[in-house]
Amino acid sequence: MQWGIYIHIPFCRQKCFYCDFPSFAGRERYMEDYTAALCQEIKTQGSCYRQKWGEPATIYIGGGTPTALSAGQLEHIIRTVTTACLSEGTQPEFTVECNPGTVDEAYLSRLRHSGVNRLSFGVQSFDDGLLKRIGRIHTGAAAVQAFQLARAAGFQNISLDLMYGLPGQTMEQLQASVGQVLALAPEHISIYGLQLEEGTAFMKMQEQGRLHLPSDELTEQMYDYMTGALPQQGYARYEISNFARPGRESRHNLSYWQDVPYLGLGAAAHSYLDGQRWEHVSDIEAYIEGIHSGQDVMQPEEAHDRRIDMEEFCFLALRTAVGISKARFQEKFGCTLASVYEDAITRMKARGFLQESADSVCLTDLGMKYGNWVFEEFLLG
Amino acid sequence: MQNKNIRNFSIIAHIDHGKSTIADRLIEYTGTLSERQMEAQVLDNMDLERERGITIKAQTVRLDYKGKDGETYQLNLIDTPGHVDFTYEVSRSLAACEGALLVVDAAQGVEAQTLANVYMALEHDLEIIPVINKIDLPSAEPERVKGEIENTIGLDTSNAVLASAKAGIGIEEILDSIVKYIPAPEGDAEAPLQALIFDSYFDSYKGVIAHVRVKQGHIKKGMKLKMMATGKEFEVTDVGCFKPQPVDVGHLDMGEVGFVAGSLKDVRDVRVGDTITFADRPADKPLPGYRGVTPMVYCGLYPVESSDYDNLKDALEKMQINDAALVFEPETSIALGFGFRCGFLGLLHMDVIQERLEREYHLKLITTAPSVIYHVYKTDRTMLKVSNPSELPPQTEIEHIEEPYVKATVIVPNDFVGAVMEISQDKRGEFKTMDYLDTNRVMITYHIPLNEIIFDYFDRLKSATRGYASLDYELADYQTSQLVKVDILLNGDPVDALSTIVHKDRAASRGRQLAAKLKEIIPQQMFEIPIQAAIGSKVIARENVRARRKDVLAKCYGGDISRKRKLLEKQKEGKKRMKSVGSVEVPQEAFMAILKID
Repeated sequence: MQWGIYIHIPFCRQKCFYCDFPSFAGRERYMEDYTAALCQEIKTQGSCYRQKWGEPATIYIGGGTPTALSAGQLEHIIRTVTTACLSEGTQPEFTVECNPGTVDEAYLSRLRHSGVNRLSFGVQSFDDGLLKRIGRIHTGAAAVQAFQLARAAGFQNISLDLMYGLPGQTMEQLQASVGQVLALAPEHISIYGLQLEEGTAFMKMQEQGRLHLPSDELTEQMYDYMTGALPQQGYARYEISNFARPGRESRHNLSYWQDVPYLGLGAAAHSYLDGQRWEHVSDIEAYIEGIHSGQDVMQPEEAHDRRIDMEEFCFLALRTAVGISKARFQEKFGCTLASVYEDAITRMKARGFLQESADSVCLTDLGMKYGNWVFEEFLLG
Repeated sequence: MQNKNIRNFSIIAHIDHGKSTIADRLIEYTGTLSERQMEAQVLDNMDLERERGITIKAQTVRLDYKGKDGETYQLNLIDTPGHVDFTYEVSRSLAACEGALLVVDAAQGVEAQTLANVYMALEHDLEIIPVINKIDLPSAEPERVKGEIENTIGLDTSNAVLASAKAGIGIEEILDSIVKYIPAPEGDAEAPLQALIFDSYFDSYKGVIAHVRVKQGHIKKGMKLKMMATGKEFEVTDVGCFKPQPVDVGHLDMGEVGFVAGSLKDVRDVRVGDTITFADRPADKPLPGYRGVTPMVYCGLYPVESSDYDNLKDALEKMQINDAALVFEPETSIALGFGFRCGFLGLLHMDVIQERLEREYHLKLITTAPSVIYHVYKTDRTMLKVSNPSELPPQTEIEHIEEPYVKATVIVPNDFVGAVMEISQDKRGEFKTMDYLDTNRVMITYHIPLNEIIFDYFDRLKSATRGYASLDYELADYQTSQLVKVDILLNGDPVDALSTIVHKDRAASRGRQLAAKLKEIIPQQMFEIPIQAAIGSKVIARENVRARRKDVLAKCYGGDISRKRKLLEKQKEGKKRMKSVGSVEVPQEAFMAILKID
């Protein structure tokens, strides 16, 4: 049975101004203890689920900034998960998120040799002024260099992230960044529109009137430009925010949307196991302490009833280009998709947000643009 | 109780001048409630009342007080609603008393509303005891305030009590003054019963409970009684007094104040102002002053979810059990679906009902802008009463329209006279009188359309006078006006619930302001939404809500799906408060937008 592992590294050299993920700068002193605790959890939990479900199809180390750890620490984590969950010679999709400002040739080479076969670089932009303005620690040139070093280290599956709608960002800057990405020819590209989140530096600036975001119209033009240009260059949009060369879709990313179970490990990691969602304690110290003293570091989230299961099944599947499989819905819930959602589907089709075939229901291009409106229609409460 | 030892009184005061605090102190001082039972402001026992600091339902309490002469007195405090919407109720409460405390803030002085109630008390021949409250405030000017009372009302203030209810100063003096100056009730204890109903409420065990003052005769448990106006007969099952909870004492004698119950099911049978008498030996005439309920302001109430229609109906019916002034009937709007046209005594009454429906019955409601009742004289010589702008006949069928006017009384410091006049003029008011209450304060009266009052007259007055203006109004008459209906079109479709009736001369500016306000309120949607204001087929204003460009969820880290779900749920919750009108999602407040333009 297909399943995946997510490992969370809650450290960053510096917190980006837009970021509200559970990651912390200035906690380097915990890295060693965190690595040890994490490895302990990987050993017990990882082997347990391997026995239950066999080897995981995907492993994803994300953050935070996994590469904020020393190469030795990260290597230790990678080897621990490999030993606990994989047989000799098997090759799951094994991704590590990298900040271009944290890796050199040797670091990348050690990752490649320890079994990692996919990298995801948070590039965001190639404009140095803009990078600085959003709190990134690297330059555009550093991103190019990191990418080239990764290729040299033997990585043949690399993803680059770009952001749009950033403060002061112009269409020209965005187009230049897209041009740079295309010139590097990665296998996979993710694009994210800036969203202001509670508790971030940007939110504070916004409240003080010091954040100058591009207009809605310009942000939309950026979105249109990217969602138009990338497919033209051979990157198919297989999910709302993700584009890939054929066969290079992120299997791990897809598993979130396709009702595939995943085991999250480390502080603040989320899991989806046997239909139940779980969350880890998000505080680094509490996590380390919990592992050492043998307490539960994972708490079940709100229990799901059938209604919530249906809602999530649908709004998650709709993020993908293939959409909701009618057969899989019926298999899982014992009733047809139409029996539950006929009205919503009809309404959304009428507005041009959804298209329906004999087998599936999926977002149109327009529907992708207004994804939240469509997802909301699939909430039953 | 011997009637010579009974005193019936109420308290007249402007909001915030300390009426409730004084009542609390009197209850405390006489030991009617122990300190443990005292909640702050026991008399305002509805949450809403406490939040707004006003009394909506009148309350009554009997205090037993041992006077300086060693005799025990029964003091009946009849609390009155302190708002202009409830003038009639106030008049009935006053009619149940022989005296009143006039509570005036030692710093603020006399206000318009107080004045109106004092005049009413004087009309009922009540003995008035001035109480200058809050004398412990640094800004207190008791002598100036006394002078004001003498000048404006012509009351002798030599027996005025200086008090601070908050600090407990002057409470005993108030009680002694009540005993000394307020006359004991008089009447024939053996004559056929005449008991004045001054309030009522519904108790789920005992049915409707009437608050009464026995003017002549007496009431005993088991008696057969009759309401003189409604004709309803009943047998007394409970009779007693309020302490302040109802206590069954089996009888009410001449001059006493208390309650009567008798398995009465419908508050409409128990009208405020009606007279209760013996069923078999009725009094030859009822007590004077009875008046039926006449709503002044109407609005549409619609459930946001059309499936809530029956729940709204149930809730309104339940509210009506306790509120004879609330009237409603089913109404249909093209834009809003099925709902109710509801009539209220005034804006506050409307607000309170609406808020209670949402709070106590968990209903999500859309309220349309309030309207007065227009008398529309048609070319076919018939007259139509219109309280819903969308029901106004076409211009060609209208001969003329009359609208209700009120006499508005405004009291302000004289620095603000210009501001009051400017606003009142702008509101189509006709200047009537101006009198100096003292060297600093002025009372101005205007003859002004009620329609203008319910818009934002008082809000504008308050902001132009830094909060100093006080307002009171009473219905004066109906007068012919040049009125037209302004329609609003969203995305090309007229939305009946947004129509409004305004004076011809300001229709264009109202239309422009309304369209601009709606542009602020209606959220961006996928398509551009033109907003038009029109009179008949002539478009007088146009705005555009630009299209929402996109709405995509951002990245989520490590499969935190629950967070995405919460975001979606929050988004959905926001939309639940919107109504789909054609293809446009319109938030609740859009239907009240007309009240928010300036």
